[in-house]
Amino acid sequence: MSRREGSLEDPQADSSVSLLPHLEAKIRQTHSLAHLLTKYAEQLLQEYVQHQGDPFGLPGFSPPRLPVAGLSAPAPSQAGLPLPERLRLDAAALAALPPMLDAVRRRQAELNPHAPRLLRHLEDAARQARALGAAVETVLAALGAAARGPRPEPPAAATAAGVFPAKVLGLRVCGLYRDWVSRTEGDLSQLVPGGPA
Amino acid sequence: MPAGSPGPAAQSARRPPPLLPLLLLCVLGAPRAGSGAHTAVISPQDPTLLIGSSLQATCSVHGDPPGATAEGLYWTLNGRRLAPELSRVLNASTLALALANLNGSRQQSGDNLVCHARDGSILAGSCLYVGLPPEKPFNISCWSKNMKDLTCRWTPGAHGETFLHTNYSLKYKLRSGGQKGPSCDNTCEEYHTVGPHSCHIPKDLALFTPYEIWVEATNRLGSARSDVLTLDILDVVTTDPPPDVHVSRVGGLEDQLSVRWVSPPALKDFLFQAKYQIRYRVEDSVDWKVVDDVSNQTSCRLAGLKPGTVYFVQVRCNPFGIYGSKKAGIWSEWSHPTAASTPRSERPGLGGGACEPRGGEPSSGPVRRELKQFLGWLKKHAYCSNLSFRLYDQWRAWMQKSHKTRNQVGRRDPSRTATCAGLACVTMCSCVPAVSF
Repeated sequence: MSRREGSLEDPQADSSVSLLPHLEAKIRQTHSLAHLLTKYAEQLLQEYVQHQGDPFGLPGFSPPRLPVAGLSAPAPSQAGLPLPERLRLDAAALAALPPMLDAVRRRQAELNPHAPRLLRHLEDAARQARALGAAVETVLAALGAAARGPRPEPPAAATAAGVFPAKVLGLRVCGLYRDWVSRTEGDLSQLVPGGPA
Repeated sequence: MPAGSPGPAAQSARRPPPLLPLLLLCVLGAPRAGSGAHTAVISPQDPTLLIGSSLQATCSVHGDPPGATAEGLYWTLNGRRLAPELSRVLNASTLALALANLNGSRQQSGDNLVCHARDGSILAGSCLYVGLPPEKPFNISCWSKNMKDLTCRWTPGAHGETFLHTNYSLKYKLRSGGQKGPSCDNTCEEYHTVGPHSCHIPKDLALFTPYEIWVEATNRLGSARSDVLTLDILDVVTTDPPPDVHVSRVGGLEDQLSVRWVSPPALKDFLFQAKYQIRYRVEDSVDWKVVDDVSNQTSCRLAGLKPGTVYFVQVRCNPFGIYGSKKAGIWSEWSHPTAASTPRSERPGLGGGACEPRGGEPSSGPVRRELKQFLGWLKKHAYCSNLSFRLYDQWRAWMQKSHKTRNQVGRRDPSRTATCAGLACVTMCSCVPAVSF
């Protein structure tokens, strides 16, 4: 693919270059998916806190934002990175999330066995994160900006020994899922023709 | 007192799950800007307690720099701050808590007991499980659909409220018989098929051999087992509702409908007697009338119905006596409602229109009384238009005839004999001649 056909390096400078129609369609589709999943992720977070009991879900509840192995929250400083790098970070985060969401679902199956909707939504979230990550990687590959070399295996999901820490960990994972899907939507919007600069 | 084998009621910590190589969270830490990180541990972790019991807990702080103090720490339970008098400082780094007469857990994932730093940040948490051991499940009932499967449901003991997640497991085995030795316990796997306390065994069931069936209830505080129900699959057979239910008019008879159906095909190859029930209701009513003991026939005639009225009809089947079983059998579900309407009453000379009393009539007392009665009767029974003396005379003739008939109780109209007699299914068979003009 020639640089005239599409380039992520400087989308502003190349805004006058029209992307291939199918690539454009793919970008729009992936952006729409990210937009939809952002809403789902917010709903999942709300549903999750409801099932953990107070103080989860109370206004002002602020458990420690502890680091989760293999995945950090989107950092404000990443906004200054080139778009391809941001999208690669998005794809990596989306690849790391599914095993974490699966681990949260398994633990919630013990803690809240009579919450089938929550369990189903956690399962859906893992699948949707995988799908969105794959879609982002497809876009990157089409633009010649895919990550070089094999992607490292996502680390095994973290677990917590006690029930309360497990609840907090699940909240953290659901929050990270929402944050990264939202970040992905924002990054993709810069690729959508006619979207924000 | 709970039945079965009660588990330990004292405080007990959950056995931690296997740890993965990248275990990260054992305790919570609350980094504070510029002052190092403090963490804490609550003991006991995730205890299980009986309702009404007491809890002694501690929150021990340690951090960097060392010498973290217990001063200023406080507790919350499910987000509500606990009264200071329930806490006391045990030593420089440990705050104790004493709770008495605990209520049942608010959520099945456990009540959240949290230790906070002075600034409100969360240092540690522990989940309390307060409840009751399960009581003996009872009232097990089972049925087999067409001898292919078995579905059972039961009532949880203590009306189900233990405040803890309670697992119910339906077990079954062939009743052990002598030389064959003991049989293995099997566990049902498909739960909640017909309600929260039910299970479905889809296959691999033996006939002509009794099964023993029971339910085991287990939670963190203990377990309980129901009485054993012994049954043969053949004694609890039910089937699908009769298919192809048709409801139709009986010629021009305005108070009758004919109901026909087909016997359930799934059991057609088995020798059994079937009995049926029919129920019907008027379209805008919720009250069903049941016709019982429609034994082993696939048609019935309903009589004594209102003319010009839509009726909904349903049929169900009981395949009792299958393979010679002596048991009562189990009724199927009702068939889908089938609707039909009785013919509208045909009365010559009548049509739509308002009924108005004749004017200018003699105002003699008896005539006025009769006219009033006549008009009352018209409202109920006739469609009025073009009133005439002829109509009035016809009514008088009917009144006389009707009076004679009321004095002949039990005498049947020969033209209705075939309809009324021999119909085990008729509950409203009217043998009084219909009003005719």
